[in-house]
Amino acid sequence: MNSQTAFRISLLALVGWMLPSADVALAEEFVVGVEVPLSGSLARVGTGMSEGISVAAEVFNRKNGKHKIKLITVDDESSPAKAVAAVEKLASQGVIAIDGGYGSSNIGPASDAANKAGLVYITSGGVDEALTQRGYKTFFRINNTAGYSKAMLGLLSDMGAKNVSIVYLTKEATADLAKDVEKALTAKGVKVTMHPFDPAITDFKPVINKIKLQDKPDVIAMSGYENDYVGILRAAKVLKPDVKAMVGVWSLATSKMQDDFPDLMSNVYGTALLPFPAEFNSPDGRDFSEAYKKLYGKEPDYLGQFGYVQSQLLFDAIVRAYDAGTLKSGGIAAELRKSNKDTLIGRVQFDDKGDNPHFSHRMGQHQGKQVVVVWPKEYANGKMSFPGVPW
Amino acid sequence: MTELVLQALWSGVLTGSSYALIALGLALIFGTMNVINLAHGELVLLAAYIAYTCESAFGASPLLAIPAAIVIVCAATAITYLLVSRIRTNRELNSLLLTYGIGVMLTNGMLLLWKADIRSTKSTWLQDAVVLGPFYSMRSEVLFFVISLALIAGLWWWLTRTWAGRAVRAVASNRDAAKVMGIDPHRVELVSFLIAGLLAAFAGAAIYSVGVIQPALGISLTIKAFIITVLAGMGSVPGVLVGALLLGLTESLTTTFFSSALQELAGMLLFLLVLFVLPNGLFGTRWRRAH
Repeated sequence: MNSQTAFRISLLALVGWMLPSADVALAEEFVVGVEVPLSGSLARVGTGMSEGISVAAEVFNRKNGKHKIKLITVDDESSPAKAVAAVEKLASQGVIAIDGGYGSSNIGPASDAANKAGLVYITSGGVDEALTQRGYKTFFRINNTAGYSKAMLGLLSDMGAKNVSIVYLTKEATADLAKDVEKALTAKGVKVTMHPFDPAITDFKPVINKIKLQDKPDVIAMSGYENDYVGILRAAKVLKPDVKAMVGVWSLATSKMQDDFPDLMSNVYGTALLPFPAEFNSPDGRDFSEAYKKLYGKEPDYLGQFGYVQSQLLFDAIVRAYDAGTLKSGGIAAELRKSNKDTLIGRVQFDDKGDNPHFSHRMGQHQGKQVVVVWPKEYANGKMSFPGVPW
Repeated sequence: MTELVLQALWSGVLTGSSYALIALGLALIFGTMNVINLAHGELVLLAAYIAYTCESAFGASPLLAIPAAIVIVCAATAITYLLVSRIRTNRELNSLLLTYGIGVMLTNGMLLLWKADIRSTKSTWLQDAVVLGPFYSMRSEVLFFVISLALIAGLWWWLTRTWAGRAVRAVASNRDAAKVMGIDPHRVELVSFLIAGLLAAFAGAAIYSVGVIQPALGISLTIKAFIITVLAGMGSVPGVLVGALLLGLTESLTTTFFSSALQELAGMLLFLLVLFVLPNGLFGTRWRRAH
C-alpha cells in the first residue's frame, strides 16, 4: 500500500467516522406547545384531542430517525382567559408552535395570543367561521362547519326528508351548524322548525313534546354534545314521536356511546370517520391505531384521529421548515400552507385563511353493536336502516 | 294544546322536585349556620359518582348505592364541617372561600378518579316510560319525585317535631340563647351537615338515574340550589319545595310556549321578581313571623 492509498483509506475512515456525528449534529428536538382543556366542561373532548397529539408525537419520534418532537402540555381549564395564559406561558417556554385548542370561544383568544407571539396555532376543535375570517397567517384548522353540514345534508337528502325539526344547543359551533343546515334545507323546499336549547337544560320532554304534537317531522336532527344527545334521545324514547330517524353530529356515532347507552343508540345516525369496529387499511392508519392502543389501551376515537392528523401535519411542516432553514422566520406557517396530504380524515390542504376546503365528514349509523358508515356512498360499508328509531 | 300544557306542567313538577332534593341540604346548612356551602353541588355529584361506581363495578342499581353514598358523602360533609368550624373570624365570608376551595378539590378529584366522560345509568328499568293519561315520564323521575316529597316531609317533621330538630332551629334562631338552654351548637351544626350529606346522597342517586353527570357539573348544581334557597327564604323547608317547583314550572312552561333557549333567563327573572316583591324570599323571616 503506497502512501496515496493509505491516505485515501484514512480519509474514507475519517469520513465514515464523521458521518454519524454529522447526523447527530443535524438532529434537533422541536418543542411544541399543547394547549388543551384537561379539566372543566371540555375536559373529555380536550383529553381525546390530547391523546391524538401524543400518539402523533410517539409515531413521529419512532419513525423519524433524526428529529424528535417534545410536547409541553398546559391545561386551559376550558376557559378563554386560561387558554390565553396557557399560550403565553408556552411562548415564554420557547415552543415553536401551538397544537390543540377546543371550543371556538377558547380557540379565538388563544390563537390571538399565539398570533401576537408569532406562533403557528393548529386545531380541530373549533368550527366557528369567525376564526378563519381574521386574516391570520398563523392560524390553521383541519375541519369546519361546512364539512359537517354537508354530511348531514347528504344523509337527509338520501332519506328524502320533507319535514325536519332541528334541536340545537345555543353554543357557537352547534348553532352555526344548525343554521347552515336549516338554510340549505329551506332552499331545497324542506320544511324546517328550529328548537334552540340552553346548555343548562336537563329535561328535553317539553321540547320533544312540541315536536311530536306541533311539528310532526319526518326526521329529528340534533346538533349538540353527548350529554344533550342522551337527554334528547331519552325524552324521545319516553314520548315516542312518529319520526323516521334521529340524526346527530359529532360524538354520537361512536363505540363509546354504544357501550355506555346501548338502549338509546339503536338506528341513531351521527358523523363517523370510520366504521366500528374500526378498519384502518392505510399504513398511516395502522401506525396510528397501534400506537394509540399501546399508549392508551383502548380503541381510538374520532377526537384522537383529529388530534393525530393536525399534529402530523404540523410536525411534518416543522421538519420541512427546519430543512429549509426557515424555522424561525415564519417557515412553519409557509410549509403548512403547502401541505396537501391524504390523511385519516381525508385530504387536507389549507386555503389562504388557514381553513381546509376539502373537509367533508361521513355519516354513520348505530346498527346492533356496530357503527356502519352509510354516507357518502364511496366510503359506505353498509346500507342505512331506514326508517329506524331507538324505540 | 291541552296535551302540551299538561305535559309541560308535569315535566315542571318533576324537574322542580329534583331541584328541591338538590337544594334541601344547602338550605339546611344556610338556615342553621348562615354558611353557604359552595361545595354542596360537588357533594351531590360525589354521591352520583358513587352510584355510577356501584352500577358499573358491581351491577348494582343506583338505588342500592344510596347507603354507600350516604356513608361516604356524610364523611365528606363531616370533614367540611370540621374545617368550617375552625374559622374564628368572619365565618360567613371565610366559609365561602373555604367551601369553594373544597369544591374545586372535589371536582378535580372526581376528574382524576372517574375521568371526564359523561355517565348515566344503564338501567332500562329506571328509564322505562311511565304513562299516566296525558303525563309522560321516566320511571326514575316518578320514583325520585316520591322520594323527594318523602324526604321533604321527613325533614320538616324532624325539624318541627323532634328535640334534635328543634335544637337545630334554636341554634339557627339564636345561637347564644340556645347555649343557655343547654344545647351544644357544635353538635347541632355537625348534625345539620350530616343530614345535608344524607340528602345529597339521595340527590346524587337521583341525578345519576334521571340525567347525565360529568365532573364539571357540581358548580351548576350549587348555583341552582343557591337560587332555590334564596328564593325559598333562609332555611325554610316548605319554601325550598315551593321555590323549586316554581322554578321547574317556569322553565318548563318557557320551553313550551317560547323557547328552551330562554329557560335560564326565565328562571333568573322569576328569582329577581320574587326578591323584588319579597326581599326575604317566599317563606322568609317575615312570613314565618306572621305564621
